[in-house]
Amino acid sequence: MKRSYVIKRILYAVFIFFVVLTLNFFIPRIGVHDPAERYYPPQGGMSTIEYEIIKQFTREQYGFDVSTFQQYVRYLRGLLRLDLGTSLRSGSPKVTALIAQRLPWTLVLSVSTLVISLVTGLLFGTMAAWKRGRWQDTLLLNASTISVALPSFFIALMLSFYLGFRLELFPAYTNPNMVAQFDWSWDAIRMVFTNAALPIMSMSLGGIIGYSQITRNSVIAVTNEDYVVTARAKGLPQATVLYKHVLRNALLPLATSIGMNIGGLIGGAIIIEQVFNWQGMGTLFLEANSTKDYPLMMGIMLFLSAFAILANLVTELLYVILDPRVTVGDKR
Amino acid sequence: MSRPNVLLQVAQRGGSLVSLVRKLWQHPQGRLGLILAGCLVLVAILAPILAPYDPYDVTQRAAKGLHPSWQHPLGTTTTTGQDIFSMLIYGSRVSLMIGIGTGVALAFLGAVMGVMAGYLGGFVDNLIMRVVDIMLVIPTLPLIIVLTSLLGRSYFVIVLVFVIFGWTGLARVIRSLVLVLKNSNYVKAAELAGASRWYIMTKHILPGTSHLIIMNTALTSAGIMVAEAGLSFLGLGDPTAISWGKMLAEAQGGGALLFGAWWWIIAPGIGIFLSVFSFMRIGIVMEEIFNPRMKASSSIYKLFKHLNNTYLDEVFRSMEEEESVVREPPDRSDAPTPEGCHG
Repeated sequence: MKRSYVIKRILYAVFIFFVVLTLNFFIPRIGVHDPAERYYPPQGGMSTIEYEIIKQFTREQYGFDVSTFQQYVRYLRGLLRLDLGTSLRSGSPKVTALIAQRLPWTLVLSVSTLVISLVTGLLFGTMAAWKRGRWQDTLLLNASTISVALPSFFIALMLSFYLGFRLELFPAYTNPNMVAQFDWSWDAIRMVFTNAALPIMSMSLGGIIGYSQITRNSVIAVTNEDYVVTARAKGLPQATVLYKHVLRNALLPLATSIGMNIGGLIGGAIIIEQVFNWQGMGTLFLEANSTKDYPLMMGIMLFLSAFAILANLVTELLYVILDPRVTVGDKR
Repeated sequence: MSRPNVLLQVAQRGGSLVSLVRKLWQHPQGRLGLILAGCLVLVAILAPILAPYDPYDVTQRAAKGLHPSWQHPLGTTTTTGQDIFSMLIYGSRVSLMIGIGTGVALAFLGAVMGVMAGYLGGFVDNLIMRVVDIMLVIPTLPLIIVLTSLLGRSYFVIVLVFVIFGWTGLARVIRSLVLVLKNSNYVKAAELAGASRWYIMTKHILPGTSHLIIMNTALTSAGIMVAEAGLSFLGLGDPTAISWGKMLAEAQGGGALLFGAWWWIIAPGIGIFLSVFSFMRIGIVMEEIFNPRMKASSSIYKLFKHLNNTYLDEVFRSMEEEESVVREPPDRSDAPTPEGCHG
């Protein structure tokens, strides 16, 4: 039963990925008669004949000299070799190489954000649930109500202003030499984290609110269970009840919501990376957008979608593994 | 009481728009939301009267980078000398128009899709739900950026893309409710009486979901306002309009952080905050009215999911599991009357 469910979910994820990559192939081809138009370099000072030659060369280089179907097959075969195409940048770098260059920097932000918002959210949420109805709970609720209506980039700007420019605690902009000078020395690592402090702070706020509310609700639900009441009635210390009886069972909804949010974490960094000029995937995507580098843009899109699909799949499977009560019948 | 029956009762509680507004007004938080939203709408409509200067006037070279004073309550921009207070007032127009316009269009599409998926079932249901699954995994913000760059940076395109990629959450929720309504006695009675599918969908099913649609419109509008501000901040909004997101980008680009011009950043931020906050309040309070068992804290939690495009996912995951169990129509005592549903 369980194995067939797992296989079904994996096949479904593969199907969705296939649809997404097909969309990804056709999106840059909508709206124009000749899709190669979007790949031509600007004419500049070239004469018409020269420009025609350049255009012909571009068509061949990016594979527009064959029919759309053949292009699609070629695209699929490229994907099998993990080839996302060639960027329009000078030197024609591979899209995968560019992504591989920037991905670690985005991961620094997203992984730290995830860890910080999880730990803090868990702490706040448990506290609010334990002190239900007291001032700690009310404060958290009111703070959540207000901060959920504040866009993260506004928070980022304010942090950059007060902690960066006014108090000079952290760099308000990312040091432009950070990436180039990185050599795994202790100083370089410390520089990365001081530069990342403000971006991580502004990205974490939303997660802290979300995770603390999820934790609060599920802890309260578990606290009302009979076995917790029994444990308390036995006269066990509060801390033991909290750690041994409540938290262990309250963490399941949190685990599933992490999986759902991981997919969005890398893409969600776009605006924050732009605010602090952090050289990650987000700024790479915006650079590609401003130079109309469609192969690069679509490559990043496909990467992000694949990441999200994978995260969703893992979440669904984890959900079954973690909670034996879940029946895996004909859910779809 | 089982969850489907609770949902049926929730569906019954929906009333006319007037009674809804009255209920909102009676709730202190709802009143706050209504007053704020009303003020913002008034400001947006009366912008030409309220604004002391023309915010599009970029020729005031003598008045660049002024600090707040009685002439310029929020100072002027360092780049072109535009009056920030007037820009703030005009910015409300974009935010509200995009937010409400997209919210309404999205509610319409989501409701149609959800009702069709839930009521017609079979192939239509499968098709719509597969599309929903695909839309949910595609990263929305990058896709919007790609599409605006392909189709042009106008608000029409932005709204269109928001609508195309935003209806999925509502459609799922509506579908879950429709699956419950479908088995209620009054729908069964209408089917037996020979009513057409179209008649049942528009006269019996849709009114039962109206409260969810209205609530969702308020919450989505709030979410879209944040998203629009983000797009404009990235310089991907309509380049001709003044919006709060663009003001923030100009403030950053114009060195507001460097010169300590905090008012230039705070002002649009508060604008975004007030508009988003008021619509969220309305949505959350509506939910509390329709579903009194829903506490404020769990609305925030759902809102968080909403902003992450996973709106109500978990809440309805448990319900979807129950759907297969509930096949027989609910008890007579729980079944709503058609009048109750129309309100």
